[in-house]
Amino acid sequence: MFSQRTDLSQLNAAVEQIKEALGKVIVGQKDTIDLLIAGLLADGHLLMEGVPGVAKTLSAKLIAKCISAVFSRIQFTPDLMPSDVLGTAVFSPKTAEFQFRKGPIFGNIILVDEINRAPAKTQSALFEAMEERQITVDGHTYHLEEPFMVLATQNPIEQEGTYRLPEAQLDRFLFKIEVKYPTLEEEIEILTNQHQQRTENQLQEIAAVLSVEQIKTLRATIKALFVEPKLLAYAAQIVHETRNNKSLYLGASPRASLAIINAGKAIAAMAGRDFVTPDDIIKVATPVLVHRIMLSPEKEMEGLTPSDIVAQIIKKIEVPR
Amino acid sequence: MTGLCFGQKELSKKPAKVVKIDSGKVEIRKIDTAEVSAYSKQRDFIYDDVPPESLSLWDRFWNWLWDLIGRAFRNKVSGSLIKYVLLGLVIVIVIFLVIKLVGLDYKVLTGQSKALDIPFEETLENIHEINFDEQLELALQSYNYRLAVRLLYLKTLKQLSDQKIISWLPDKTNRAYVSEIQDVQKREVFSDLTLQFEYIWYGEFFIDKNTFESVHQSFQQFNSSKV
Repeated sequence: MFSQRTDLSQLNAAVEQIKEALGKVIVGQKDTIDLLIAGLLADGHLLMEGVPGVAKTLSAKLIAKCISAVFSRIQFTPDLMPSDVLGTAVFSPKTAEFQFRKGPIFGNIILVDEINRAPAKTQSALFEAMEERQITVDGHTYHLEEPFMVLATQNPIEQEGTYRLPEAQLDRFLFKIEVKYPTLEEEIEILTNQHQQRTENQLQEIAAVLSVEQIKTLRATIKALFVEPKLLAYAAQIVHETRNNKSLYLGASPRASLAIINAGKAIAAMAGRDFVTPDDIIKVATPVLVHRIMLSPEKEMEGLTPSDIVAQIIKKIEVPR
Repeated sequence: MTGLCFGQKELSKKPAKVVKIDSGKVEIRKIDTAEVSAYSKQRDFIYDDVPPESLSLWDRFWNWLWDLIGRAFRNKVSGSLIKYVLLGLVIVIVIFLVIKLVGLDYKVLTGQSKALDIPFEETLENIHEINFDEQLELALQSYNYRLAVRLLYLKTLKQLSDQKIISWLPDKTNRAYVSEIQDVQKREVFSDLTLQFEYIWYGEFFIDKNTFESVHQSFQQFNSSKV
């Protein structure tokens, strides 16, 4: 009855290809894969949290493998220095001048593994890069190539040897994707695949699905999708409520509202629609907000989680219809 | 024995104490009387003959209030009345604190069920209070087909809620209602209607009279179908 106003066929085909490629290696984790793709299309940085061994790094590596772009990996360790990430000026005897040697941040897809094992000093090196897509060293500003995406993995804060990430940095991540344990059936499938040595071959078979230019085009398409004004108000209400909720010590910033809308557009496009619905907003609200809010001490002691509060907030606000 | 004798011998050798005489010149310091006099004139150092403090307006108000309360208590009739009011107040405060500490809902005191409470600060619309036929007529008169489709959808939600097929709550999305329908065939048809509504309402797809007629017919067929 309604012909599409925006051509999403290329995007949908690419999404299917990425899902298929990831599905060959990763068993289950459907929501994680959906959010990874949505984050990629919405031009956001992603933080994946989970206990060791739930395929966080593998998922991040696979999504990077699906794009033919410059891939860098930085293993965050307690002794890592900002210059190890950004780069440093090295004296050249030939020219008798200092020359800037680019660090691993100069790439398209940056996998920051175990991000919360480095202290705040090193974390702060990422602030400018993540938000402004540039770095400033010795008074010189270096622009980072588009697309620029940070895919970070971390263990839960309760784990040994981890630091809490600064709020300013957490706010720069579009989603915090909580990677859960597989179900029993999924675990059996993982073992079967491993036993039959299927995983290794499939890992090597994964080829790039999207080029840098295609990513740029898809992102531009998504940005132009339609959002009904009442839905903009709905997203703003959800975020605004986090600032007035008594269970929260810290609410979400306006960057969270923008993130909900951008990510909602990506989810809508993945569903083949060129407009956003309340379901899209609800789907992304939790991964957008959980890392941006802080519980009040008494609620934390009661055992509540940020996800519980976000769910309560969503339940409190009327769906525009 | 020898050791002890040796010890006594050693002690006897200790030199006698010498008294040292301090022959240094002692400088006698005198208090400056002018300075003492200056200090004694300062207000902070005058410890006696303090003039009585004049009461401020605020203090006088409190004195008056306490005096009034005191007199009221001395009166037999009003005194007992105030006692009961205060007792009641204390009981209310205790009940409030108990409710707060236990975390009970205040609704238990009014007898209202917690489930009946719609947890919204502001409910935009209640589908059970809308006169759909009247509103639909108005929308069609103004050629607002988009609004007309919205009213058709809300009317359908109301009917499904009345038939206990869905449980209507303002926080639920359209897809949540779709998944609530148990009958597979009905669910599929309602899913299609929902999609049409979403394209027209959230997507702001253009809808003319002919398209509306078609959509209207689909809604009518669904609403007239038996559960």
